[in-house]
Amino acid sequence: MAVEAIDVRKRFGSLTALDGVTLRVPGGQIYGLLGPNGAGKTTLIRALIGLLTIDGGQITVLGGRPADSDVLARTGYMTQAPALYGDLTAEENVRFFAAIHGGGDVDAALRLVHLEDRRRSVTATLSGGMQTRLSLACTVVHAPSLLLLDEPTVGVDPQLRVELWGRFRSMAANGTTIIVSSHVMDEAERCDRLGLMLGGRFLAEGSADELRRLAGSERLEDAFLALSQAAS
Amino acid sequence: MSGRRTLAITGRVLAQFRHDHRTLALLLVAPIVILGLFALLFQTDARPAVLGVIDQDSGPLGAAMVQQLDASDLVTTHTTTLDLAGPALDAGDLDGYLLLPADLSATALASGRIAPELHLRGTDPAAGAAISRAVTTAALAAAAGLAPSGGGARLPQVDLAPIYLFGGADLKVLDLLGGPFIGLIVFFLVYVVTSVSFLRERTLGTLERLMASPLQRSEIVLGYALGFTLVALVQAAEVLVFSLWIIGLHNAGNVLLVFGIEVLLAIAAINLGIFLSTFARTEFQAVQFIPLVIVPQILLSGVLVPVANEPGWLQVVSNVLPLTYAVDALRAVMLEGRTLASGDLLLDLGVLAGFCAVVIVAAAATLRREVA
Repeated sequence: MAVEAIDVRKRFGSLTALDGVTLRVPGGQIYGLLGPNGAGKTTLIRALIGLLTIDGGQITVLGGRPADSDVLARTGYMTQAPALYGDLTAEENVRFFAAIHGGGDVDAALRLVHLEDRRRSVTATLSGGMQTRLSLACTVVHAPSLLLLDEPTVGVDPQLRVELWGRFRSMAANGTTIIVSSHVMDEAERCDRLGLMLGGRFLAEGSADELRRLAGSERLEDAFLALSQAAS
Repeated sequence: MSGRRTLAITGRVLAQFRHDHRTLALLLVAPIVILGLFALLFQTDARPAVLGVIDQDSGPLGAAMVQQLDASDLVTTHTTTLDLAGPALDAGDLDGYLLLPADLSATALASGRIAPELHLRGTDPAAGAAISRAVTTAALAAAAGLAPSGGGARLPQVDLAPIYLFGGADLKVLDLLGGPFIGLIVFFLVYVVTSVSFLRERTLGTLERLMASPLQRSEIVLGYALGFTLVALVQAAEVLVFSLWIIGLHNAGNVLLVFGIEVLLAIAAINLGIFLSTFARTEFQAVQFIPLVIVPQILLSGVLVPVANEPGWLQVVSNVLPLTYAVDALRAVMLEGRTLASGDLLLDLGVLAGFCAVVIVAAAATLRREVA
């Protein structure tokens, strides 16, 4: 297993963000975390990368604990908002994130997101979609074995989104494990396996087909709504 | 112009204050702290200058002058000896000492000239002026008291040619304040720039990315400190060149030593900026530390009012603040020409270096992995 989380619990004051979450993702799989805002997707991803300490349960990532520096060196994390240095150029941003992860192919990362001609542009002058792409380039530049992507395609046009998913596919084929959160259902279709989250727990898990069958609906969106209603 | 729209803005501003208790508290607390410090610093009248007196006069004039000086409001006198006076002047325990020579009365009688030997420390123009005035007044009063009644005797002339240990007659208040201000300016500006840029790292979310990378907290803090130190070095050099060669501040010491003190202050400010920014959520809150942390430090550093003039408990506060040592060090080098052979200067530098080390460790320790 590339990622194994067992009975993970996390509270923020009176709010239960993760209520006994168990997740197993084998190497090379694309795992989609689905659910409405506040379902616990971001909290789970941040727990997997060691950005927050959990109150209970156990997490193993790439054979180590989250926040181990050799684990972090092999992990790429993309935040929801494109967290970049606005006063640096696109290339300088990618180069910096490569350096702090121990190096990487800056040119390849820029090509991946089609920003090779904007490499000298100051990041703050790039459009929102371009910044999202640049953020992705910074995430994958060190060729990580595990990618944690928190809603990576927000603000990305449909054409590029299709292309990016193609890249995710080929990275997964090369053994990269990808955990991606989304609430865009057509993206969910592209995942090997899906987990529907609500209120800090998994309602259901399985492939898109399995979830549709489970809910008895044609569309994944309806399946999700049906499963949510059945739970509450 | 719509009153309703205008009031909507007003209402929103007030609502924001209601949600930001910290800003509101700052607006109410900071003036009390700063004005309170001002009151404490300036409530006591200026400390009288300290004058050592060595009376070797074989005639009556010396004793009469000592009596007059004892009664003066301008100076506090101490009877001393030649052996003790020199070192006391050097250490700053005395602002000056007056040697009344054996022939003081005799010369006065013979030539009408009163010529005592006045030694001044020369680092505080105000103290020097007070001593000169007190000695002249005392000499004239003493002579008048001794003159035979009935008048007719001509007024004696007081001949004062002070000998300066440091500085000199042309030392201005600017020189007294300017040296320390070189350090304070560097400290203040570097603090503001560092704390705000570190906060931006937090608010833009890039700190979260750094935390999700193999970077160690100490690597982040040291890397930051190094980068800002390089920029601060340029600023420190510029400030120094401008102060010494354009403004023409008095500098009796080694320029490199002054530069070294500036650099230590910059390093302290950088790490203080990183450390304190971990207690702020926004750039706004980081800037708010200025009236609470920086301004009181400057007031208490001894730059405007000597630490010795503060109430006793406030001196304790001053003596734990790093800026106090920086001000002392800059004055020791620039006004007194001290070198690294001076124990006092080494103490100042040691305290500054120690402070740097403490804030670097504190900054690394408070930088939490949990950013949100």
